[in-house]
Amino acid sequence: MLRLKLCVLAMLAALSASSYGEEAPDGARRFGQGGKPSEAQIAEWRTRRAAQNGSESAPAAAAAMPHRHDDMPAAAPAGKPEEAGHGPVWPGGMALGMRGGALWLSDTPPMRGEGGRGGMRASGMAGMEMGGGHGAPVTKRVWLRSGNDPLKSGFAHDDAEAAVESVLVTPRSKPEGEPLPAADGHKGLSFEMPAQGFYRLYLTSRKLQGDTLAVAVAKMEVGNFTHDGDEDEVAAALQAPRALDSAPLEIVRERKQDEKKFFQLKSGDEQAFFVLQKGLPLQGARVRFVSHQGWVKEGVSDEMGRVSFQLVRDYYPPWDEFQKRFKATYLVIAETGSVESGSFNGQPYSGVRYQSTLSGNYYPSPDDYQSYAWGLGIGMGMLMFCGVAVYLYRRRRVKPYREEHFDEQH
Amino acid sequence: MNSTKPRLQALRDAVNHVQFNRFRFWFQFAAFVLFVYGGYISINLGSHMPFFSCGYNQEGRAGVCYLLPLQHQLGQPWPRLFGMAGIAVLTGFLMFALWFIVLNKGWCGFVCPLGTLQDWLTALRRRIGIRYSTYSQGQFAQLTRVKYLLLALLVLIPLGIGGGLFSHNMSPPFCLICPARMILPMFTGDFSQFTVDFSSKTSMIMTATGVSVMSLFLVGSFVKKRFFCFFCPMSALHYLLSKPALLKLKKDGSKCTRCGDCYNVCDMEIKEIADDVRTANIMTDDCTLCLKCVASCPEKGALQASFAGIPIFVSTEEGFIKRMGKGAHHGK
Amino acid sequence: MENNGKVIPIHAEPYGRSRQAGEAQDVLSHLVEDFEDNPASMQYFYDLFRRVYCHGEEVPHRGMLVGTTCIQAPEELIYAFGATPMRLCNGSYHYDQKGADFMPSKSCSLVKATLGMLSAETQIPKVGKPDMIVNPTTCDQKKKSSAMIGGMGYKVYDLEFPNVKESEASRVYWQRSVRQFAAELRTLTGRKLTRKNLKAAMEKTGRAQAAFRTLHNFRRKSPSLLLGKDAFLVTNAYFFDDIERWTLAVEKLNEELAQREKAGFKAVQSKAPRVLFTGSPPIFPNLKLPLLIEEAGGVVVADETCSANRMLYDMTAVDEWLVNDMVDSLADKYLKPCTCPIFTKNEDRKRRLLALMRDFNADGVVYQAFAGCQVYEMEYRSVAEEFNRMGIPMLYVETDYSPDDKGQLSTRIEAFLESLKNRKKQRA
Repeated sequence: MLRLKLCVLAMLAALSASSYGEEAPDGARRFGQGGKPSEAQIAEWRTRRAAQNGSESAPAAAAAMPHRHDDMPAAAPAGKPEEAGHGPVWPGGMALGMRGGALWLSDTPPMRGEGGRGGMRASGMAGMEMGGGHGAPVTKRVWLRSGNDPLKSGFAHDDAEAAVESVLVTPRSKPEGEPLPAADGHKGLSFEMPAQGFYRLYLTSRKLQGDTLAVAVAKMEVGNFTHDGDEDEVAAALQAPRALDSAPLEIVRERKQDEKKFFQLKSGDEQAFFVLQKGLPLQGARVRFVSHQGWVKEGVSDEMGRVSFQLVRDYYPPWDEFQKRFKATYLVIAETGSVESGSFNGQPYSGVRYQSTLSGNYYPSPDDYQSYAWGLGIGMGMLMFCGVAVYLYRRRRVKPYREEHFDEQH
Repeated sequence: MNSTKPRLQALRDAVNHVQFNRFRFWFQFAAFVLFVYGGYISINLGSHMPFFSCGYNQEGRAGVCYLLPLQHQLGQPWPRLFGMAGIAVLTGFLMFALWFIVLNKGWCGFVCPLGTLQDWLTALRRRIGIRYSTYSQGQFAQLTRVKYLLLALLVLIPLGIGGGLFSHNMSPPFCLICPARMILPMFTGDFSQFTVDFSSKTSMIMTATGVSVMSLFLVGSFVKKRFFCFFCPMSALHYLLSKPALLKLKKDGSKCTRCGDCYNVCDMEIKEIADDVRTANIMTDDCTLCLKCVASCPEKGALQASFAGIPIFVSTEEGFIKRMGKGAHHGK
Repeated sequence: MENNGKVIPIHAEPYGRSRQAGEAQDVLSHLVEDFEDNPASMQYFYDLFRRVYCHGEEVPHRGMLVGTTCIQAPEELIYAFGATPMRLCNGSYHYDQKGADFMPSKSCSLVKATLGMLSAETQIPKVGKPDMIVNPTTCDQKKKSSAMIGGMGYKVYDLEFPNVKESEASRVYWQRSVRQFAAELRTLTGRKLTRKNLKAAMEKTGRAQAAFRTLHNFRRKSPSLLLGKDAFLVTNAYFFDDIERWTLAVEKLNEELAQREKAGFKAVQSKAPRVLFTGSPPIFPNLKLPLLIEEAGGVVVADETCSANRMLYDMTAVDEWLVNDMVDSLADKYLKPCTCPIFTKNEDRKRRLLALMRDFNADGVVYQAFAGCQVYEMEYRSVAEEFNRMGIPMLYVETDYSPDDKGQLSTRIEAFLESLKNRKKQRA
């Protein structure tokens, strides 16, 4: 009996060790240096990608390899993603490998990149309303940033040559949206969110670069929900169309069947995106997923325009600095080009390069800091301890006036 | 008028002679199903439930235990709490009070899923044939205070969090150590609360304590009837509001023989129920208003449950004989 | 010699000719013949007493016989161990005189009679020699008789009983006593206490109690359906009769009373003063006082004595039908509601009396104290004060088993009943 118990304890200990306690040491946070994900993981990625891409496995497999930004031969000369932010003007580099960086919309301004403490309301309350905050509609502020690394992208700078237009689609607007006044430098764009539902902001910039027209669409999707709001409104919002037919290129996050209004992505999750051109799936678009720390993975959209990435865990602070509500930002960049001629502002062009971005947030996975094994272990240990203690107490201690016990079993 | 009177009397007799334990079992069962699974059929009774309809049971809950929003509300930053949000706290409390007033502590004895669960554990022990434990009077006098201490902490710690004195990871402090947080979601297949959170030292201590308390709860309520209710801060909060409540437990001391039958069946070991012949409003702070005392009182009209002044369940000799006779035939 | 000159022809059996049989026969014939319209189902009890007390017939019992000297000995436990309890408290003047050898002359007749019976060659009722006598340590006289009974060659078990009942300590102490008593019974009988046999025993007494309560409730009716002397005879039979047979007989009586109620029967005149009887217990054949009251036109509607109401009224509630819980619940029943005057406080007794006055619509109280029964004598004052305050008339009678004071008592009782009648008239 005792041996059995010891066995169980040992197993529990082993289980717990495997589920937690593997904080990556400093310097081992990057792929391929002994940190996560493992070689096996990478191999799995490769095969999955290969399978997805069918016969054209060789280039696809190469593209599917996770790599650091600065390992890429086509990256900026200095090879450092942070330098992307110092690009001269926006929308600087549109295409992969050009200086500058992608143009994208973020709900956090630069330099606050070390993780916000967002999502408190949703996670802390276990989905409960708090009372208060029922007054005026929430105003959402977003910033236009440029760069290929969420952590290091600076504000996008004004570019006189580019033609910029912003469209906001709200739960109450027409499906084609309404124009929003242009961005005002560092103050960002802001809009009110009077109704529950998803608000989509599209900022499209067109600029001629040589004989190529560069079209960049930065997209942002913001969910605005309250805890005690109208249920029908929520249901409608979850059903509403999520793409803009007029967008030259657009990325739509795939929403899973069971997603609720306060859905949060967790690191480690598999997330798919659709690339749409004028509302139709686009096959063969090159899609890059950039994690909060700048880890990049590339894929090519399939015939459904779908491409899937794992939100790799890249948050490894020392234990006492760990924040379970750490808000990380990912960035997805899709690109495609086409040979078409036309004229822009009176200048002719012979090709168009499309780029679209979508950013979003994800949070540490509970698996990274919560341990079932420990919970079960402590629970079982305590249960056994209390059970035995009570048993022995009742068995051995001759309570005054209770010396006579009667056998209940007969 | 004359024809309705005997019919009303017949109804009253039927109620007073009811097989009370069986009635209560099914009532509790129904309430358990409602509040643990009601959410699946879109029942939502709000977040001011005066009992442990645990909010962490996100899928199945049909309402949320008021202690959860209360702690969150009190944990807001002070400028907000003592400003506009304060009004929300007060209206929330008022809503809670309105719910509470209807059944008084009857929420504990008849509706609370955690209470029901303890009764089931008790039934399990009884089936196995293990005698129950009791506290001595001395232990009782000490333990009965614990709930007030917990209630005070439940208010003060969130205030401290709002004031920046404590870590946010401590919020909501009581829920983190409440066994309902782990046990009730389990009934909808959600084991996610069964973890120890290593994200910070505070979280780790709180969640480890929570798991330990849950184990203690299981063992405790197995050997001791309504083990947790002695320590329940909700019970303490109830007692502070119980004066205007509609459901009341009343005692007519002149009819009482102090035979102690009520004390004998009392899950909470409340001695006053048998010995106090002066107080008419006999519900004490530990009482769960389970009304077992009324069912086990052989003196007509000595104990009664009344709703808004109307007697709804009165002790009778016939009812007693029927119930105890039945009891003698029942069981293993 | 003490037959008041009345010679009753009885069967020519050796016992039957004894003074003792004569005493019983005398009381029984008064009980039966002085009243008209005795319930037909009372015949069982009349016959029982005639057979046992007048003819000296044996009462068969099952298993071992455990004598009890007081109602505080939990009879359910005795039944559970397959033994039969038998209440030894005796009401015979003959035994009272015999018992005077053991006790000071100014002692309680009941205790003396019990001792007298136990020391006698023939013991009436003839149930047999007890295998053990349980003697709860209640009043001083019963306490002291323990050693004397032991000296007569009986096995005596002193069941420790607290003097205070309000405190939790005494409750726990008593629960322990009862547990130890159960252990003692286990050694005596060699049987085990199980859930099954204890439950069966509790059902048995529970049914008897339920029958008693029904009878008790019939006595609330005014005018009465049943006389107090019959009620006392019924509860006295519980001392020695087989419990199941007794229960059946009482249930039959209840049926008859129900019919009487339907038929609008009156056992007494509507104006008959209703009397609540309290104090020292009337035990056959010492039904002197109740008989005098009812012969004088009053009716005893309720009582607060340990030979009737206090013995059978209070019922046990059990939460979990497990042995440990059942035993503790039983212990509680035997201590907590008890209104015996041996306790330090008598608040419960006063409250019980007032409740009985109210519920049974009684006009006055007759308080019997056996000469030498100090606790009842001492409690008289506080009870009288309480009744005075409530404006309830009370007659205090200090007496014993001797029939000598019958004439004097009869005058006092008649006067008391007359005053009650007048009061009633004035009120009306």
